Amino acid sequence: MSSVPTVNVDRPPENLAERTYLIPIFKGLGVTLRHFLRNLFGQKDIATIQYPETKRQYSERLRGKHILTTKEDGSLRCVACYMCETACPAECIHIVAEEDPEATVEWEKKPAVYEIDLLRCVFCGYCVDACPKEAIIMSREHEMAFVTREEAIVGIEDLRQKGPIEDEDLGYRPYY
Amino acid sequence: MRQPDGSSTLLTTRVETMLGWVRKNSLWPLPFGTACCAIEFMSVVSSHYDLARFGAEVVRFSPRQADLMIVAGTITDKMAPVVKRVYDQMAEPKYVVSMGACACTGGFYRAYHVVQGVDEFIPVDVYVPGCPPTPEALMHGILKLQEMIQNGETQYDRLKSRSADTAASPV
Amino acid sequence: MTVSSPEAPTRPHPLSDRLPEGAGEGITSCADGHTELTVDRSRILDVLKTLRDDDSTRCNLLADICAVDYPDRDARFEVVYHLAGIESGERVRVRVPVTEDDPVVPSAYGVFKAADWFEREAYDMMGIRFDGHPNLKRILTHEAFVGHPLRKDYDPAQRWLLTENETMAPKWVEETPEGNLDFEPQVLNIGPSHPATHGTLRTIARLDGEVIVRAECEIGYLHRCFEKMSETHGWNQVIPYTDRLNYCSSHINGAGYALAVEKMLGIEAPPRAQAIHVILSELSRVMDHAVCLGAMLVDIGALTNFWYFFQTREQIYGLLESCAGGRLTVSYARIGGLAHDVPADFHDHVRKLLADIPKFIDDVEKLVTANKIFRDRAENVGIVSAEEAVAWGWTGPCLRASGVPYDIRKALPYHGYEQYDFEVPVATTGDTYARYLVRIEEMRQSLRIIDQALTTLPDGPVITDNHRVALPPKEKVFTEMEALIWHFKLIYEGIKVPAGHAYSCTEGGNGELGYYLVSDGGGKPYRIKVRPPCFAIYQAFPHILEGHMVPDAIAIQSSLNIIAGELDR
Repeated sequence: MSSVPTVNVDRPPENLAERTYLIPIFKGLGVTLRHFLRNLFGQKDIATIQYPETKRQYSERLRGKHILTTKEDGSLRCVACYMCETACPAECIHIVAEEDPEATVEWEKKPAVYEIDLLRCVFCGYCVDACPKEAIIMSREHEMAFVTREEAIVGIEDLRQKGPIEDEDLGYRPYY
Repeated sequence: MRQPDGSSTLLTTRVETMLGWVRKNSLWPLPFGTACCAIEFMSVVSSHYDLARFGAEVVRFSPRQADLMIVAGTITDKMAPVVKRVYDQMAEPKYVVSMGACACTGGFYRAYHVVQGVDEFIPVDVYVPGCPPTPEALMHGILKLQEMIQNGETQYDRLKSRSADTAASPV
Repeated sequence: MTVSSPEAPTRPHPLSDRLPEGAGEGITSCADGHTELTVDRSRILDVLKTLRDDDSTRCNLLADICAVDYPDRDARFEVVYHLAGIESGERVRVRVPVTEDDPVVPSAYGVFKAADWFEREAYDMMGIRFDGHPNLKRILTHEAFVGHPLRKDYDPAQRWLLTENETMAPKWVEETPEGNLDFEPQVLNIGPSHPATHGTLRTIARLDGEVIVRAECEIGYLHRCFEKMSETHGWNQVIPYTDRLNYCSSHINGAGYALAVEKMLGIEAPPRAQAIHVILSELSRVMDHAVCLGAMLVDIGALTNFWYFFQTREQIYGLLESCAGGRLTVSYARIGGLAHDVPADFHDHVRKLLADIPKFIDDVEKLVTANKIFRDRAENVGIVSAEEAVAWGWTGPCLRASGVPYDIRKALPYHGYEQYDFEVPVATTGDTYARYLVRIEEMRQSLRIIDQALTTLPDGPVITDNHRVALPPKEKVFTEMEALIWHFKLIYEGIKVPAGHAYSCTEGGNGELGYYLVSDGGGKPYRIKVRPPCFAIYQAFPHILEGHMVPDAIAIQSSLNIIAGELDR
């Protein structure tokens, strides 16, 4: 172990200047004064984000509230294969499948019930990774607050894609 | 503030509005931080987001001096009596924000030592989802609580009106 | 290739002559770098003493003690000791089979003080009794808990409610010490609802005036049953749980866990993934030290530095969020590499961080390091000598502040750390001031490593192409049948890790973060034991406290950087 390159960080005992404490006071005041004046006169550089008037721009990979994507005709892409329910570590997805009357080889089933308990969800993104149809993706919507626990169990109507996919605030999804 | 029959006069509604305005703008939080959400709470009070802009400047760790308890983090069965005691020691009006999946429902810890939601033993006003919730999500939750305080829709108000009803109509 | 398959014994292992008579049979060398032996419980103390004192091994650090439940075997439990030699570099694993009707093992507390809390945890979780242990009580679960949760027949969701907490006072609180009858000793409860920074740690201290005469620590207030949860979820699904272990530096835990499973599978992550692991781990280490020092300075009374350090954290959060999607709990590592590649602006973003972060560290140093008040509060407070630290099982910055230059990144390099040029900061005094200085220097060294890793970042895939382990790329899953089948098998059945066991350690923010994995060949882990660095560090805390005042206790506790998520798991 003597071959480990080390750097000794011991400090020597205090010299006279440090013991009288005046010089470190002024150095310290200099640092805080610099920050203070910079914040006072350089308003644009100030670190604080004035929420809710300004909102921070998150990246395109933020794991926020889920979106159930739709095909061109407006029906869900989800085929109720239960992969997301299996992959979810929190077991917060609840699906009940049913036969799709307009079944094709590619889209055989559809979900009658698709619920996510947003208060159980840990927003890990495993459901998005598991989906073989890109039927569930995540948006950048992270500001959700509920008054009751029942309110937080959202179903298909709440989760489905509202308009064209370009208008949604997209977050974590397969292609980048 | 209510008449015995449940209605309120003009003077008392004005007083209630003012009380609501005063209370919502001077929430003093008690961050009951146990786990990762506590770190995000620290981010909220730091310079980047700054909860002090909403009146929550003084973060009080003593329940006698706080009126908003933010339960940030997992509550275990060992910690539960401590939470209950701290909540009981707070003076009314008091509000509770449950921050993060673990405090709201136990999150993905369906386990032998984790309380499946802090509302098992204390009344919660606002549930903020996320793991951990982003600082904006927590601030959104606190703003929602402020709205609820102004409109008199919190658990404290419900408790007050229920006890006023039972006092008004003794059976 | 299974990890624990022994090499064909052509001649006896050199260690077998040194061990007590009969204990040296069946010594094997495992693929995880450990020398493994199975010992009967009657000889375990002799074996441990020999391994500690003999010149060929000199295993002076007790890394871990855990118990594993094998209900199908005759000897139902197995107590596993992991030992490490700091100077010799030896790693030894000792296994002691124990039966169900007589689960008693002699306590190793006399040989290694570090055995203290590890044995209490094995008692709590599995019900193994350790003969001769000074204080064998439950440590992680509460006092009204019935049963031993990590046993295979325990239902994971079976809870026991604790209604009253005030009876949790140790017996010595009632005792009145002899001597001066004019004064009554005061017992003070510090915690568990302690100001935000370190909530959930409890210290019960008997005071004489303001000096602490005797202390005891109570932990387990954040015991979230990580190990039981990992037994009910697939290998990849454990990664979000590992994020919440040391939540101040979550990527390190995930990278360490993925490395451990990759070792058992016999695969390696691609070089690009390893380099990105290094960059993000070092940034996480900077974040961890930032919050530790920020909180320590707040506890001592210097609030401004907290804001400066949180600016640093916010900037790093921006990078982590753009790579992984989460700020604090990233879940970016996967077994076999990373979840997906870094964004296009990764290089520039990291370069900007490397330029901005040192400014905040410099600001804090100017405010604090030469400051007489801070030096008076921190120097000669909580002194721990090198021998004491090693005896207690300390690793990481706290050990290095006591003078022992032990860093897993140098001792057992992983993820390509051997190619990077950096120094290990060491101090000799072992007090709170030294721990502060070591962490500041470590932040600067981490930035140095990131610079080198970024310059030499190779191109290529970020996850292995072995489809028994990693999900195939999405383009193939949407179009090819074979990829879809691999995808289905991985999600429904999980990764099939070959049966066996392995211990793998990495350098976490606080020291040696070890994972002891046991697999039965299925898609879910059979047993995962996490060796948390701050568990070993915190068990020494009540003993350090004696003779210090209450404000010193606060300063020492925050300098040790106890993260409850890791401590209690």
